[in-house]
Amino acid sequence: MHNQILAALKRSQADYTEIRLEEREFTSVTFRGRELETASSVIDAGGVVRCLCRDGGWGIATFNNRDNLADRVEQATQCARAAKSENPIELEPIPIVEDHITVTLGRDFRGITLAEKKAVVESYNGLLLGYSDKIVDTVSRYHDTFSKITFANSEGSFIEEERPMVVLSCMATARDGDNVQQAHESYSKLAGFEEVQGREALAESAARRAVELLAAESVTGGQYPVILNSNLAGVFIHEAFGHLSEADFIYENPAAREMMVLGRRFGPDFLTVFDDGSIPGLRGTHKYDDEGTPTRRNDLIRNGILVGRLHSRETAAKLGEAPTGNARAVNYRHAPIVRMTNTAIAPGATSFADMLKDIELGIYACDAYGGNTELESFSFSSGYAYMIRHGQLAEMVKDVILAGNLFATLQNIDAVGDDFEWRHPGGGCGKGGQAPLPVGMGAPHIRIQNVVIGGK
Amino acid sequence: MDMLQQLQAQAEQVEVLHVQGESTKVRFESNSLKATQVEETSGLAVRVIKDGRLGFAASSDVTATGKLMTNALESAAYGDAAPFMFPGFQAFPEVACYDPTIAELSIPRLVEIGQEIMAYLREADPEGMVSVELQRRVERFSLRNHAGADVAMMRTPFSLSFGVDRIKGDDVLMVYDMQGATLWEDDFMAPVRRVAEKLQLAQQIVPLSSGRMPVLFSPPGAVALTYPLMLGLSGKNVVKGVSPLARRAGEAVFDHCITVIDDATLPGRFSSAATDDEGVPHRRTVLIENGVLQGFYHDLKTAARAGVASTGNGSRSLFTLPDPAPTNLIVSAGETPLADMLAGIKEGLWIEGVLGLGQGNIISGAFSNPLALAFKIENGEIVGRVKNASIAGNIYELLRHIGATSCETEWVYQGLNQPYILLEDMNIIAKG
Repeated sequence: MHNQILAALKRSQADYTEIRLEEREFTSVTFRGRELETASSVIDAGGVVRCLCRDGGWGIATFNNRDNLADRVEQATQCARAAKSENPIELEPIPIVEDHITVTLGRDFRGITLAEKKAVVESYNGLLLGYSDKIVDTVSRYHDTFSKITFANSEGSFIEEERPMVVLSCMATARDGDNVQQAHESYSKLAGFEEVQGREALAESAARRAVELLAAESVTGGQYPVILNSNLAGVFIHEAFGHLSEADFIYENPAAREMMVLGRRFGPDFLTVFDDGSIPGLRGTHKYDDEGTPTRRNDLIRNGILVGRLHSRETAAKLGEAPTGNARAVNYRHAPIVRMTNTAIAPGATSFADMLKDIELGIYACDAYGGNTELESFSFSSGYAYMIRHGQLAEMVKDVILAGNLFATLQNIDAVGDDFEWRHPGGGCGKGGQAPLPVGMGAPHIRIQNVVIGGK
Repeated sequence: MDMLQQLQAQAEQVEVLHVQGESTKVRFESNSLKATQVEETSGLAVRVIKDGRLGFAASSDVTATGKLMTNALESAAYGDAAPFMFPGFQAFPEVACYDPTIAELSIPRLVEIGQEIMAYLREADPEGMVSVELQRRVERFSLRNHAGADVAMMRTPFSLSFGVDRIKGDDVLMVYDMQGATLWEDDFMAPVRRVAEKLQLAQQIVPLSSGRMPVLFSPPGAVALTYPLMLGLSGKNVVKGVSPLARRAGEAVFDHCITVIDDATLPGRFSSAATDDEGVPHRRTVLIENGVLQGFYHDLKTAARAGVASTGNGSRSLFTLPDPAPTNLIVSAGETPLADMLAGIKEGLWIEGVLGLGQGNIISGAFSNPLALAFKIENGEIVGRVKNASIAGNIYELLRHIGATSCETEWVYQGLNQPYILLEDMNIIAKG
């Protein structure tokens, strides 16, 4: 395939051409309730060619059949010529790289039988079902993927990379009459099968929480001081701020550029936010992004001030900044777009106990069910939460949905915890029809004043 | 010997699905054409039932049939008991879902349409940033099974999404729409004009105080109400015992003005087709009639568990087993003109869209969402856009008493058709 790729690139008439081929096999085992829904393996292979013509725009061809790469390049070139862009597209230069990245897995899941994978999921599912007779439904899921990706461009870069991933997730549904509650836990690593073994605590915590939520009252809507746990703080910074720092949102929009001008104060002095695709062991980590740019740490907010943003080669060229290694594609069906890798709030100096003690009436919101942003407005729901009364954690409450305006909310952060953690949730990020893209999130506890909590 | 025959020698039941697709897409971003894309997809998926156990495998490499069959049989060795039979040959309805006009749309023509949409929206809001995406697709679907089903279909889904972002200082406004159909619609500008009207109404920002008030949900806004309902009507959630509607067929669960129908036989709609993804003929299924629960939507497996026939709602992607899903879902029109509904509101809210649709514990019917786009109504007229407000409630309480539903309906999110819905007394939380 190596020679076919080089030959196809050589024949290209476009100003810039890249080819990304992907072969992957993945196995899924899913139990729902007492029933095994899926225990199966699938094969997925395909590729994408992306061409840029300076008198046109981007042309993209995606395909499953990887024969005739030269024809695919020709198709993409014709598309690029048809895409007459009014804004000329340039690419910021990056180093030319030849690299071959292989991984060594602890227990390579490709050599493990479907029977063993099924047995592991079945045992977690059994824990969920056996926790209480109130548990009426479960979803216990195991998933592994091993991808081999080949990237080459007309500038001479050629990168071959293996990308493994395992995911385990457990959801429990508890019911008491009309009261139905769900709780969810997940874990994922770019690693071998050993990472999903011995995770009984994860299953138990999902089951326990679903049952506990049956007894929780709905929160009373209003404005509260809120402490977010590490999981939720990570989702918050990803959803509410991270997406705004993706340069494709601002690079052709002067008003957006003004809103996100570097040097603007976004939060208190003790708030630092960064994205880093180069940290070993995290879900959003790769040596290179999907344009072949090396990943690195990029500070976004440093001591409360906006200092950086995330780029592809195109957005970097447009804004005259350096590429950051954030052009990512979820698979061969898509061209890369600007995405986060591992995004985090850097640790602060306040202990959790100190955050609690001066809250008279507030909410401790934990984990995330989901989140959504429309630029300045955000919304996300916590998996579970507790009232804080007189400086102490009190009763559990449910249906806690946080909403607000990003700018006001970041300014209202009045404490950042000293208990930073990277999290390894099994979900992924969605943008521009590309989901789920594995990302990492990290944060300590944070406290925010005057958060709007939805409620009846 | 083909795969169906080879596998029949080793399993009691066999189904082979072959999908092929070819699409073109053009994308405009920030007021400018950005990219055009061609896509070719192909794949095979196999279900077998061997010794009573269900196995599944799929491949997007159509030449890897040996590995595909091995994977399917291995999967069956560990699979659960299959409670259902693949259907044999059945007569299916004629459903219009292929249009040569769509099949033959060229990239230059797509670009032209996109430019027309963009020009209209730029004129409506010169300060906004317009994005448009158009995709035409030709899909070939063929499904055969051991029992004699042999379905071959071609469809031409056309989808159109567009939106405007307008930023003024720290105020960000996003207005967008997404439409889809399988027959060409000459008046593709109709939804564009609606978005332009919303942009006009959104110019002025007006304050809102928290409190109880009448709320008028537009067809896109009413998705906040119908999305939890779609989950509650799923045969899968019923057989799993998590739907609040389970075991309530025949009961009046909602206001009498609520009628909900699933119908994939409508000509030219986005999900229209002769059969579902398991080869079960499509049909019109009344789920709720005048507030009374009639039944649920099912695929083969959930139907077998529930002891009923599949309603033809088996839906799958290449790499997944079927699950029940709505096709074209219709909430029936009411009798009140929208203008009369609006005129009757002294002070209230018009909701166009919410943030975080589907988040939280929505299977229970509960929803809680900040408003993405909403207008304040005073004395029967829209006076401007409100910001930083949110709604919460439970559809199983709220939809028991509905003020009115409009005689006008709109298609939203491609597959859902519904009227304006007035709820006379909702709690609104507003900040600032």
